[in-house]
Amino acid sequence: MDKEKTILIVDDMEINRIILAEIFKDNYNIIQACDGNQAIETINGNVDISAVLLDLIMPGTDGLGVLRDMKKSGKIKNIPVFLITAEENEKMLIEGYHLGAVDVIRKPFMSHFLKHRINNIIELYAHRNDLANIVEQQVAKLNKLNQSMIEMLATAVEFRDCESGEHVKRIAGFTKLLMTEVSSRYPEYYMTEEEIDKISKSSVLHDVGKISIPDSILTKPGRLTSDEYEIMKQHTVKGYEFLMQFPDIIDESTYKYSCDICRYHHERWDGKGYPDGLAGDDIPIWAQVVSVADVYDALTAERVYKKPFSHEKAVSMIKNGECGMFNPKLIDAFEALVNESKSGETE
Amino acid sequence: MDLLDELEKIGVNVSDGVNRLGGNKALYRRLLGNFVKAVRENGISTDFDEENYSDITDKAHAIKGIAGNLSVTPVYEGYTQIVSLLRSGEPKRAKEVLVKITPVLNEIIECIEKNSH
Repeated sequence: MDKEKTILIVDDMEINRIILAEIFKDNYNIIQACDGNQAIETINGNVDISAVLLDLIMPGTDGLGVLRDMKKSGKIKNIPVFLITAEENEKMLIEGYHLGAVDVIRKPFMSHFLKHRINNIIELYAHRNDLANIVEQQVAKLNKLNQSMIEMLATAVEFRDCESGEHVKRIAGFTKLLMTEVSSRYPEYYMTEEEIDKISKSSVLHDVGKISIPDSILTKPGRLTSDEYEIMKQHTVKGYEFLMQFPDIIDESTYKYSCDICRYHHERWDGKGYPDGLAGDDIPIWAQVVSVADVYDALTAERVYKKPFSHEKAVSMIKNGECGMFNPKLIDAFEALVNESKSGETE
Repeated sequence: MDLLDELEKIGVNVSDGVNRLGGNKALYRRLLGNFVKAVRENGISTDFDEENYSDITDKAHAIKGIAGNLSVTPVYEGYTQIVSLLRSGEPKRAKEVLVKITPVLNEIIECIEKNSH
């Protein structure tokens, strides 16, 4: 057996530590800790620990204290912990098992059995951890592939609109920045980093409904007639209906964001948007954020029917409500982001 | 007489203790020295306070563990009883066992100390 694996022995009595070290020294690297705090420090340190042999009763932080810390940090899922005990303290042992300990080692130690039991569990955990890593990598790969397919679809739609596909990428980037700013400024809009990431990824599908709009309208260089505009407005509902047919393409929570963003990214704070005329916070915050990102990008990009506006002009148009009313808190966060990027440029 | 033979004679299960260490007699001898030190640090007086003895229980528990691991069998058995009695709230009876086991423990310690000089 290689000696790549390390066992941490935790016991306040040196004799017990030495005996356990003697039993395992030929097969494992040994680290010793004489109390709970030292053990916690080692477990949370840089050494990769394969198993912990943990005395239950110690002065200061006892074995249960170490287990609680491991449970809190999540380490208990990957490192098997064996409780060392000289007596049948049922209450402590049950609590130990509840906190995630895998087995109990009784004093006096039965070296031969102990060796086999601990070796077996360490091998089992190593195997399980390897499998978990493989699954994690595969899931990440699949998610990446899934996201690429979604972006490909969104880009294909953009191509019809004579866009290069950069628009959807810019929207995703800007959505992430703005959603993060809004989330950190306003507790009512707080979202975890993971959720913000999902929203950002979902934002690329905001215009997918444009696939149903005829070329004559979608790529018309001049102003749309009111009938044509009514058809154009349908891209929100069409996109939503389109996504509703494929609930399996993205995971459940991302799917909800994608559908909301498709349908509501042209709604406005004062209820004057489309397609449903929602107002205020009836419009999901993620759709509100994509609205601002979309408007900013549309203003600053060149289109067949218009030249690009400068950044300053675009910001002032959004603030002044020239592109419809937005949530004032969102505008504050938008301004903070703009100022932040300005001060970043001057530094 | 050799230390290990002498200890065997007074009830220590030397071969069991040495086996636990993979047959390493030198290490076993060294740990006997550590045992004496640990017993001194965790010594329990036979007139301990019968009202407040949680500290005594921890010390007895420590001695029980190391005596078991070194197969100092009479001490291990005596302290197993003491810990059990203390945990079940019977300090008086624990004291009776302690009074009986202390001379045995002292004899083992003397034997180790005598042979380590």
